[in-house]
Amino acid sequence: MISFDTFLAVASGGLVLGALYALMAAGLAAVWTTLGIFNFAHGAFIALGAYIGWQLADAGGAGLGLTAGVVVATVALFGFGILFHLVLVRPFERRADIVTVSVITTLAGTAIIESAINLIWGPRSKQLARLGTGEIDLGLIRIPMGDLVLVAVVAATLAGLGWFLGRTRTGRAMRAVSQNREAAELMGIDVPRLYALAFGLSAAMAGLAGIFVGGLRFMTPTMGADPLMKALIVVILGGIARFTSPIYAALLVGLVESFSNYFVGLYWTPAVLFAIMIAVLYVKPSGLFGHHQRTL
Amino acid sequence: MTALLELRQLSGGYSPIQIFQNVDLVVQPGETVGFFGPNGHGKTTLMKTISGVLEPWSGDVIFEGRRINREAPRGSRRFRNFNYDAVTRRRMDPKAVARAGLIHVAQGNLLFPEMTVDEVLSIAPMAAAGREKGNRFGLTSIHSLFPRLAERRGHKIRFLSGGERQMVSIAAGLLAVPRLLILDEPTLGLSPKLRLELCQSIRAIKDMGVPLIVIDQDVAFLSALIDRLHLFDHGRIARVLGKAEIPDHDTLMSMLFGAAIT
Repeated sequence: MISFDTFLAVASGGLVLGALYALMAAGLAAVWTTLGIFNFAHGAFIALGAYIGWQLADAGGAGLGLTAGVVVATVALFGFGILFHLVLVRPFERRADIVTVSVITTLAGTAIIESAINLIWGPRSKQLARLGTGEIDLGLIRIPMGDLVLVAVVAATLAGLGWFLGRTRTGRAMRAVSQNREAAELMGIDVPRLYALAFGLSAAMAGLAGIFVGGLRFMTPTMGADPLMKALIVVILGGIARFTSPIYAALLVGLVESFSNYFVGLYWTPAVLFAIMIAVLYVKPSGLFGHHQRTL
Repeated sequence: MTALLELRQLSGGYSPIQIFQNVDLVVQPGETVGFFGPNGHGKTTLMKTISGVLEPWSGDVIFEGRRINREAPRGSRRFRNFNYDAVTRRRMDPKAVARAGLIHVAQGNLLFPEMTVDEVLSIAPMAAAGREKGNRFGLTSIHSLFPRLAERRGHKIRFLSGGERQMVSIAAGLLAVPRLLILDEPTLGLSPKLRLELCQSIRAIKDMGVPLIVIDQDVAFLSALIDRLHLFDHGRIARVLGKAEIPDHDTLMSMLFGAAIT
């Protein structure tokens, strides 16, 4: 039914895809757990990151190379995330219906960002070069260098995030705020500043993810919609008990998507993923790896 | 001499329901005061208002001679004609209160379930940053005060017993180098043995020279600890008793509720 070589190729493709989803979902979960709201503009952040990266890296822009693109896009999105929080989320923070209001404001943010991209860079699709060229032979299987770089960068980023949340005082304070806001305030923690920081970090990770997405698919102003949906599935499927739970779920979703593309076809894959997600929710409402979840 | 903490005609509650009204209180430096009263009469709400978690409706909170609430009334706006949350001011900022050294150990504090004891204690000194140089409550003194916390340092808060969680709460309060420490029913729901242990620790904290406001239901424990007892009833301080005047539990109850029903 499937040869061993094909199986390996499909599986490795799935894992690479999973790594990319892990990066997007970790960013999404950072805002979700800390602020308790769902950021629908995360997909637009991904698109913005890709376009800023293209502007720096591509010969049609500044032509400074992809590394410069990665650095500038990540830093720029960090700042943009803080600004976004300041303008579209923070003014409504003290409302009782902040969760509902933030759905609208972040959707509005999506529309604004996509229109701005359209105005600045035009609707014609673009493509980014991949980080790393050629293929590398791992004995059983040959993997494109770009995939390897992607997995390595994602692993390093997530390890860095884990170190930040687990070892630094600011990171621990951020976890404290997400677990009990009132107790954190009583401990003198600056909650609004940590909210802004969470948004910044989340956006920076989205920007980085955008550069990778731009290397895999064509870039359009609405290119973030599909990754956002996948990241949403990952976060719900895995739960957010620990910051690692979306990572496992992301690898799972990547593998399922890869195999489902091979066996049932591209157009059925989203349906398959959603069906699995719903089935998991029936059995384990807090997600596969969750025991405690922030209620939305 | 400036008072450590002064409340002037403080009122507050959970809008639209007012819980306490026109509370006046003065705590002098070095004093330990107690609060006693029936459940549901506003003691915890008052403490939450002092620490800024809830907004005071009217009145002032003055800590070490400095007003820590805004002068403007509740819900006042920077721009008069706008009714938006974005431009209404908070009257108090709990972060600023904690950083000034007024530390509130909340009642039944659940803390941070997914963090370990050590992680919680590591972020606790953040409230003292920029205020105290050379923390006089190091982790070693915390561990000698609460030996159990040394045993359970790697455990998540989720897996601790109620008493141990209370110890972490108080320890975190101490690491913030309090200039005044509010303990809201520290022995609530504890077994008699644990309760005794915790009462000893609280006495030790007092002997370290930390001014305390203690709410508790155990009159014997309170009268041994405090200089003054405030009887809190129906959202106001009904009576203030000096150390010598504190009677036993039954007499106190009849003071609050009238003669005992036989």
